[in-house]
Amino acid sequence: MSEMHETALHERPNTPGPPRMNLRPLALALMLAVLVALFAITLSIGSVTIPLRDIGLILAGGEPARATWSQIVLLFRLPKAITALLAGASLAVAGLEMQTLFRNPLADPFVLGVSSGASLGVALVVLTAGSTLSGAVLVSGLSLLADLGVVAAASLGAALVMALVMLAARRVKTMTLLILGLMFGYATNAAVSILLHFSISERIQAYIAWTFGSFGSTTWQELRVFAPVLLLALLVAQVMVKPLNALLLGESYARSMGLNVARARFWLLASTAILSGVVTAFCGPIGFIGVAVPHMARAVFRTSDHRVLIPAVTLLGSITALLADFVAGVPGSQIVLPLNAITALIGAPVVVWVILNRKGIKETFA
Amino acid sequence: MHARSLTLIVPVLLLSLLVGCAPAAPAPAVEPTQPIEQPPAAEPDPTTAPQPEAPEANLTAGCVDTYAEGVDYFPEKTALEYASGFTVEYFGNYKVVTVTRPWSGSAQTFQYVLVQCGTPAPDDFEDALTVEVPASSFVSMSTTYLPMLEDLGRLDALVAVDNGIYVYNPAVRERLAAGEIAEVGRDADVNVEAVLDLDPSLIMASSLGFDTDAHPVLLAAGLPVVVNGDYVEPTALGRAEWVKFIALFYNEEARAAEVFGEIAGQYNEAAALAAGVEQRPTVFANTPFDDVWYMPGGDSYTAHMFADAGADYLWADDTSAPTLFLDFETVFDTAKDAEIWLNPFAYDLEGLATTDERFREFAAFQSGQVYAYNARETELGGNDFFESGAARPHIVLMDLIKIFHPDLLPDHELFYYRQLQ
Repeated sequence: MSEMHETALHERPNTPGPPRMNLRPLALALMLAVLVALFAITLSIGSVTIPLRDIGLILAGGEPARATWSQIVLLFRLPKAITALLAGASLAVAGLEMQTLFRNPLADPFVLGVSSGASLGVALVVLTAGSTLSGAVLVSGLSLLADLGVVAAASLGAALVMALVMLAARRVKTMTLLILGLMFGYATNAAVSILLHFSISERIQAYIAWTFGSFGSTTWQELRVFAPVLLLALLVAQVMVKPLNALLLGESYARSMGLNVARARFWLLASTAILSGVVTAFCGPIGFIGVAVPHMARAVFRTSDHRVLIPAVTLLGSITALLADFVAGVPGSQIVLPLNAITALIGAPVVVWVILNRKGIKETFA
Repeated sequence: MHARSLTLIVPVLLLSLLVGCAPAAPAPAVEPTQPIEQPPAAEPDPTTAPQPEAPEANLTAGCVDTYAEGVDYFPEKTALEYASGFTVEYFGNYKVVTVTRPWSGSAQTFQYVLVQCGTPAPDDFEDALTVEVPASSFVSMSTTYLPMLEDLGRLDALVAVDNGIYVYNPAVRERLAAGEIAEVGRDADVNVEAVLDLDPSLIMASSLGFDTDAHPVLLAAGLPVVVNGDYVEPTALGRAEWVKFIALFYNEEARAAEVFGEIAGQYNEAAALAAGVEQRPTVFANTPFDDVWYMPGGDSYTAHMFADAGADYLWADDTSAPTLFLDFETVFDTAKDAEIWLNPFAYDLEGLATTDERFREFAAFQSGQVYAYNARETELGGNDFFESGAARPHIVLMDLIKIFHPDLLPDHELFYYRQLQ
């Protein structure tokens, strides 16, 4: 099928205005500029305001006006900004992949139950480390996980669920997979509830704090794993543009176009699981970016063509994450708000808009 | 947790964790009506029986045989110096105890009428819960009452606790293991049937003023539950003085006065030592949970203890809230060069560094001046600092002074605290 026909299928018909094709690169470039500006702002403004000039000095390896500024920027703000950048892009891309694969506008990166698996891993570590449950012989063996760090346990949990999902994917239809993922999620949530029920307040508080999500707890050491893995998965998503476009037309139609649906599904599921699993393992479960950003991108660019959407969603995801983190840090004050609350405040209106604007949905996902 | 349901659960849980940060909404007024069965009034026959004499001490065991009006059955009375959360009034054969501050920001107060066993209950107090004293069986819904019961010599009265895993007291743990002490569950999940089965003469619970409290549930079942507000006291001695509150129920006022007098004396002695120091080491506390560092506010119990022990707490001037929600970066900026780090959530330095490698940048970490209060902990997670720390503030203070100014107390060895290795 010719590219022109493919493109036409994804365009919204009867949209007024100048031909969108030429403006797109400009829009993307503008987004990139916004991203860079936002990155610089988050480095400069926090509980302590550091002038941009000193930021530049620090990044270049020089000495700023105050010695602690160097440590603040290099130890805290820079890794946090990089984490937010990568996490936002990853979640948004994963969300897009899931929305396309399941042809469901409300799918998010966590429909596979991967983040629930990560939550269970973290719960097992935080809530049982160093203690056994009241009279519970059955869980005494689980304290071996106590020696693992939170990140390792979360990764293990996410990987386990991912393995289950990949196994199931070979046998069941796509829609069934969606429900399986949800059920994995409910099952792990139930297990976490039981663990919480038996725990002392401090540990519950530690676990709850993890569920708030945070970009600030990823250190340089952790970034050495975090960054390459995510970049690799993002690259896979980039390569999947054509299969994604085909899948949007429906699986049987895509198959008739020559797409190996099973293989496309495998790579989509794998990359989503890695993107969402790794982000959840290091940052906690961060909601709304995955579901809201693809819709924002579709609205801004008025297209479902993944050749535009993948880069758009990547940039927009990073921007949203940086913005949410900036707001959560309540600049100018010493206090800090939970990240998930801010992403929800940004994302919920977008999701509401999606539900209300059913005309757009039908065209994209029908 | 599923990300979507999180955003519903998260604010709700956040609210329930912000104890003391915001004034709790007053619980709907539950007025208990608990008249006890009145013992048959013994009518003294002036012609044949001699008049009963006024007792010289409070009756800590047994009941009065023949009641005589006008006799003062409580010659040993309680006087309060530091605690402001309750009051007691004495009337001949009964005491009226009012808990004026059951939880932070409470509009509700609780009144209890403690009637000497063997004497008639007064008529006027229909709204108050009436308890016969000295009480017998005791159900404890908080481990903080256990050391106080022990100090009063009435640990034998304990028949149940809320949750056995938190208990540190070895005697209680032994009896728990032997099945002599029951577990009835905590907060609103308390197993009411189990408590009813025990038929206790007294249940003591602490409440937050939320729906999750135990006392409304127990009151609804007609059980004699007394709300204890010791944790709300802003000062260490104020909290410890609640041993006198528990003593009221066992007529052990004299013993309580003795015990508390000793504690207060030692506390004030130690505080006086620390007050005279010239150099105060800089101190910060706690560890962050992800990116949020919960730092005790300048007006908090913890901050006051640090000041009394002769330290320069770096957030002593921020009295905006009982707990400050700071970000890691802010704490780093302020406390990077602080000399001493207290109360981290860790058992050793390597474990601390594994949680976040940036902890290594703190001067206190590098010099090994990190101290946690987990020296006395059971494998199940029961921590004696939480259990007896409030009842023994003089030891906590001495521990802190030993940490901040080791030369002031050469003979004292750290009890609740240990230095992280």
